Amino acid sequence: MSGKRSARGGAKQAELLAAQQAPEGLDDAELALSSDEEYESGEEDSELGLSGSGSDAEDSEEEEENGRPRSSGVDREIENAALAYMAAVQKRQQRGQASGSGSDSEEEDERESDADEEPAAAARGGGGGELAAGSEGRDEEEGEEDEDEERPQHDDPASDSSEDERAPRNTVGQVPLEWYQDEEHIGYDVEGHKLEKRGRRDRLERHISKQDSLAKEMRTVYDEYNDEEIELSKEEMRMIQRIRQGQFPHVEVNPFEPEVDWFTRDVEVMPLSAAPEPKRRFIPSKWEEKKVVKLVRALRKGWIKREQEPEKPAAYLLWEDDGRTADKTATGLTYIPAPKLKLPGHEESYNPPAEYLPTEEEKNAAQLLDEEERPQFVPTAYDSLRRVPAYASFIKERFERCLDLYLCPRTRRKRLIIEDPEVLVPKLPKPKDLQPFPVSLAVRYSGHIKAVRSLSPDPTGQWLLSGSDDGSVRLWEVRTGRCMRTWQLEEPVACVAWCPSSQLSLAAAACGKRLFLLPTGTGNEEQEAATEAALQQALAASGSSGSGSIEEGQLVSWQRWQGGGSGSGSGSGSSDGVVVLHRFPLKYVTWHGRGDYFATVAPTGNTQAVLVHQLSKGASQNPFRKNRGRVVRVLFHPAKPFFFVATQQNVRVYNLAKQALARKLVAGSGVITSMALHPSGDHLIVGSEDKRLCWFDLDLSTKPYRSLRYHQYAVRGTAFHRSYPLFASASDDATVHIFHGMVYSDLMTNPLIVPVKILRGHEMVDFQGCLDVAFHPTQPWAFTAGADASINLYVNP
Amino acid sequence: MLKKKKGTSGNAVQYVTRNQALKKLQLKLSEFRRLCILKGIHPREPKKKPQGQNKTYYHVKDIAYLLHEPLLKKARELYAYEKKVRRARAKKNRDLAARLAARKPSYRLDHLVRERYPSFVDALRDLDDPLTLVHLFAVLPAEKAHGIPAPAVQLARRLALEWQAWVVRSHALRKAFISVKGYYFQAEVQGQAVTWLVPHATSQVLPPDVDYKVMLTFLEFYSTLLQFVNYKLYHSLGLRYPPVLDPKLEQAAVGLEALMQDLASSGSGAAAAAPRQLAAAAAEDAEEGGVNPAAQQRLGSLADKVRELEEEIRGERPRGAAAAAADAQQAGSEDGSASEEEEAAEEEGFEIDSGDEGEDTEEEEEEADSGSDEEEEQAAADDPEDADLAAAGAAAGEASDDEGEQAEEEEEDGQQLAGGAADVDADDDAGVCASLFKGLVFFLGREVPREQLLLIIRAFGGEAGWDGEGSPLAEGDERITHQVVDRPTQGHRFLSREYVQPQWVFDSANFRVLARPPLYAPGKAPPPHLSPFVRGEEEGYVPEYGRQLAALQEAARAARKRRAAAARGGDVFVGEEEEGGEGGAAALTAEEEAEAAEARYAAELAKELKKSGAAAGEESEEEEAAAPAPKKRRVSGEDELQMDEQQMKDIMMTRKARKMYQGLQKSRAAKQARVAALEQRAAALKQ
Repeated sequence: MSGKRSARGGAKQAELLAAQQAPEGLDDAELALSSDEEYESGEEDSELGLSGSGSDAEDSEEEEENGRPRSSGVDREIENAALAYMAAVQKRQQRGQASGSGSDSEEEDERESDADEEPAAAARGGGGGELAAGSEGRDEEEGEEDEDEERPQHDDPASDSSEDERAPRNTVGQVPLEWYQDEEHIGYDVEGHKLEKRGRRDRLERHISKQDSLAKEMRTVYDEYNDEEIELSKEEMRMIQRIRQGQFPHVEVNPFEPEVDWFTRDVEVMPLSAAPEPKRRFIPSKWEEKKVVKLVRALRKGWIKREQEPEKPAAYLLWEDDGRTADKTATGLTYIPAPKLKLPGHEESYNPPAEYLPTEEEKNAAQLLDEEERPQFVPTAYDSLRRVPAYASFIKERFERCLDLYLCPRTRRKRLIIEDPEVLVPKLPKPKDLQPFPVSLAVRYSGHIKAVRSLSPDPTGQWLLSGSDDGSVRLWEVRTGRCMRTWQLEEPVACVAWCPSSQLSLAAAACGKRLFLLPTGTGNEEQEAATEAALQQALAASGSSGSGSIEEGQLVSWQRWQGGGSGSGSGSGSSDGVVVLHRFPLKYVTWHGRGDYFATVAPTGNTQAVLVHQLSKGASQNPFRKNRGRVVRVLFHPAKPFFFVATQQNVRVYNLAKQALARKLVAGSGVITSMALHPSGDHLIVGSEDKRLCWFDLDLSTKPYRSLRYHQYAVRGTAFHRSYPLFASASDDATVHIFHGMVYSDLMTNPLIVPVKILRGHEMVDFQGCLDVAFHPTQPWAFTAGADASINLYVNP
Repeated sequence: MLKKKKGTSGNAVQYVTRNQALKKLQLKLSEFRRLCILKGIHPREPKKKPQGQNKTYYHVKDIAYLLHEPLLKKARELYAYEKKVRRARAKKNRDLAARLAARKPSYRLDHLVRERYPSFVDALRDLDDPLTLVHLFAVLPAEKAHGIPAPAVQLARRLALEWQAWVVRSHALRKAFISVKGYYFQAEVQGQAVTWLVPHATSQVLPPDVDYKVMLTFLEFYSTLLQFVNYKLYHSLGLRYPPVLDPKLEQAAVGLEALMQDLASSGSGAAAAAPRQLAAAAAEDAEEGGVNPAAQQRLGSLADKVRELEEEIRGERPRGAAAAAADAQQAGSEDGSASEEEEAAEEEGFEIDSGDEGEDTEEEEEEADSGSDEEEEQAAADDPEDADLAAAGAAAGEASDDEGEQAEEEEEDGQQLAGGAADVDADDDAGVCASLFKGLVFFLGREVPREQLLLIIRAFGGEAGWDGEGSPLAEGDERITHQVVDRPTQGHRFLSREYVQPQWVFDSANFRVLARPPLYAPGKAPPPHLSPFVRGEEEGYVPEYGRQLAALQEAARAARKRRAAAARGGDVFVGEEEEGGEGGAAALTAEEEAEAAEARYAAELAKELKKSGAAAGEESEEEEAAAPAPKKRRVSGEDELQMDEQQMKDIMMTRKARKMYQGLQKSRAAKQARVAALEQRAAALKQ
């Protein structure tokens, strides 16, 4: 320890000295080297200062070898320095023995040689640097030794005391010695003078000297660098031998000295450090405590687990059940399984039957389509399995399926799977079994010029009356189709109605604002007379003025009409009719079953829309103070005192006896156009403009029992057969539908309605087809009136 | 009465939109999606949509159900934990980060499986999608770019193989189909038809516009589900789960075989196989050493138990391990399969299930019974001397039967068609499937899809070897009856075997009949491959080849019935009926024969139809069914009448019924048009 410290001090001194003595040409390297030991360097200083530059290298070497500085006449100071030097040497020897490094002298030697060769470098590095290198130990030295191998051998294992003082004699420079091989000199001395080669003794000389003393000669080595021969002492030889054997060079060095452990646990009386024990040694560590608490807590709470939990097996017996399925999920909601994907058909095969493959044309057509419309999957055939490529959109399809599974809303839809659609068709009796009904066209009555608006067969079924837009009323013979008589009434005839009374041969025709009571002249003489009488009586009773207009305060005016009619019939011109003048244009006329009362409808008549007339009294009355809605049709109940009034929206049934509204039937459909009453009076059918036919069971409800919609255009006419269970509807689509409409007397059984026949035979004119339909009173025949100005009779086969 | 406030009852409170749900659950959309996928929660369609038409609605109960999901808590914890790791990493505390990352908490989905599928049948009903996805991922590359982890792929592969192994083992496969999209398979599991799709064995191109995260979430649940399903299935067969995959064979891409070996050893012959394997391991280090150390270890521990049990049951004096090993070794050195089976039969009763021992004794007994039945058949079929010809199955059956020797030559054809299932009751579809290929030995060329073919062949009772590593048979083996090749020309041919294309296996399996091999000769365009999922009567059109196969099927069926009758020893009515037809048919060529069979089939069908009609007394209906055809071909007047009739029928229908009726008529007409087009095209192609 102390050595180091002193060395450091020495280095400082050496630097100082170097700075002082550089001008004197002193070798820096030497200075730096010598500063390793301050006393040494101090001594050298003094020596240098003493001997000066004038002393020869050889001489100085000799003196040094002697081990004593040649200081005979020196002052006190120098003497002191020499003493100090001696002490230093001694001390160093001791140290060498202690550390066991041993080869101090060698080190010195080498260092010196270094210094000899590289004075400039040493100067640059400074004394401290060199010192550090010196004190670091063997590593450096080994490196230096390596370098030395290249250099000329410069072994001078002379005693350390002598070599330390040796001044550099030769400055060859950093060139190999071979360069001086052919020269006379070898290198230069400090002053730059050539050093003459002394030359090595030749072999002869050497041999001779060997003969002289073999031992000495064997110990002599030649220093090529300094061109001198060195004789090794016996000690040195021994040292070399020891080195060769891998032992310490110095005999006195013991490498296995017992080690002294200064820092032991034994408390010595005198401690190494006198510092008092710090306080922290006596109090528990707070930080450690915190850490422990943390760990303990973590252990207690199970955050830290000391042993690995045994891992549950990846799979175990999860279900031990019996295979019952559960349809409720844990949420209590119904489980809706995702629908399964469609299974592949033949077309998806890698080798489908040839008929499943699209033809070239189909392929081309598909190419022309939009990408969205193009078929997703095109069947393709491969002639062997090895040619089948990967399906490009496999992953995509699976992904889309995944999306469907978690993104698509699921609902459970009840779906009726019907194997045979025929089960949906109601089981109805076959039309064949429901005969008779009109099937085939038998007679076509032609003569009208314009659309035939209305038909009315006479109660016997022999005659048929028709009213047309051409302003004529024609009387036809049913079986032959002959037109027996024609009345020209100038205005379009809206409605004709044959008086149901068997005593009379009378018909009513509504034409503009007039109602004609026409004696048809088809009856026998008795009937004719009765008809004439009845008309006379009516005129008389009405007290008509014959003025040709309606008087103030009168609803209507009954008047004699002498238009007569032209015809080929027997009673032509024989009879004059009666005309009842109205205030409003008439659209409909209907008779009471007994043939005494008849009612007229003038839809635009507001409060006077419905008028009831009595033939026998020639009287007219307005039964309703007010009509709700536009009245379209009225009907008398065949047996009871009921009166049906159909406005555009609904049908009101009035009890005439009680003079009160009995029932209001709501069809729930469009504008009512026609109405017909079942002969029993308990069932009503109503046709409307919204193509619907409603069947009302009056005993059942005010709502329709059945509402049938089968026409393509508005229903224009409806009719019940008087005796057969038939009814019909005529529509603007130029068809007439015949239905079997059986009504049972048993109240529990619903009426049976079976469509049996569709009659076609008319043509549509100006969006008008069949305008009226009427049944023959006794036969299962139907008359139809068409907008094509014809009347057809359909009969059963 | 107080007026009800809006939005306090009904759909308004029963359904929430997705955003409302997210808010309530405090989840990100991706987390919510993941949770929904795992829990199987899907949107619903309320009748009224209170929040607007184009929104997704969830039932409020579903959301509440999610709210209490333990997985949700777990996910949050995991998120917090990951945050810890992130923080440690950010602070460069690598030790802590590594320690935390290593102790990352895991989660399990077991409870979800149980919740979603309270019973096993529920799970089976929904198995189509899991199987298909697992089979897809089994062949996908574990790509980092798409975030597909390698363990997931490996698990998928293992599960797929396990499933297939079970299907093979239980002979549950019913249908197989080569589609352009891949291979469709259908198995019947506890009465449920389970269909799955396996992609073709070419490398898959991963499309970039697919969110693999979604698919992986599905896969996560599906693989959990499938593990439990497999466990249950294996358990019901008395097999240990998970089976051990033979790594050597697996590496050779044999796949199914790698598992089957383990099953074979652990299944019916578990007790016998274990000591033998041990002994073999000891004796033949060179061979067995590399096979499967893990399996052997497990089996080793098993062997001890087995021995203990044996001793207990038999009451014998304890035998040393060496003696047992020596015994087993002896058995092993004898003829391979036969001796194995014998020993298995001996120790059938002492089956060990590693899962739970001695739990289901009844089940075991059943298993033992069925096993011994199979045993005999197997023994008969496996006898190499018998199984040398193409008609091996039939021959094997005949050899064991006395009556079979007297059989007529014509019968042989039917027998041949019936394959190994000649002895099975014709109405027992499962039985027919299990033994169709019994006695047949296949050799698969290296160019054919091995895994799929192995699945079919072995599920239908056949044996198979292949060109490659691990094959139990060499190509030159004498026992091989069919070689499956898919190459333009076949060089060297063995005369003793049939060379067929892979389609032959599929067609034969689907129609439960051995199809005519010459039609499927290598290099030849095979007959069309028909989908087994199409039922002719529903489709309305049966392709020509379908009819031919149906005829063959009928013949095979008849043969089976005949054999059954012969076995019963009664009069052979069924057979005699057939014989008349077949006597002539035998002399004809295959084509003509097919036609004859077809005619026979048609006649029989008609007969059956009549019979059933008479029995039910519904002749009027039959008339109706027959009547429409002539009615159609009448003059136009009649046509109009017809139309009128139709129109009048419409009148009396309610509107709903009418619409439905019209829709049905329309679809029916479309179908008829399609069938007509197909027929027309087929006719045109024929010319």
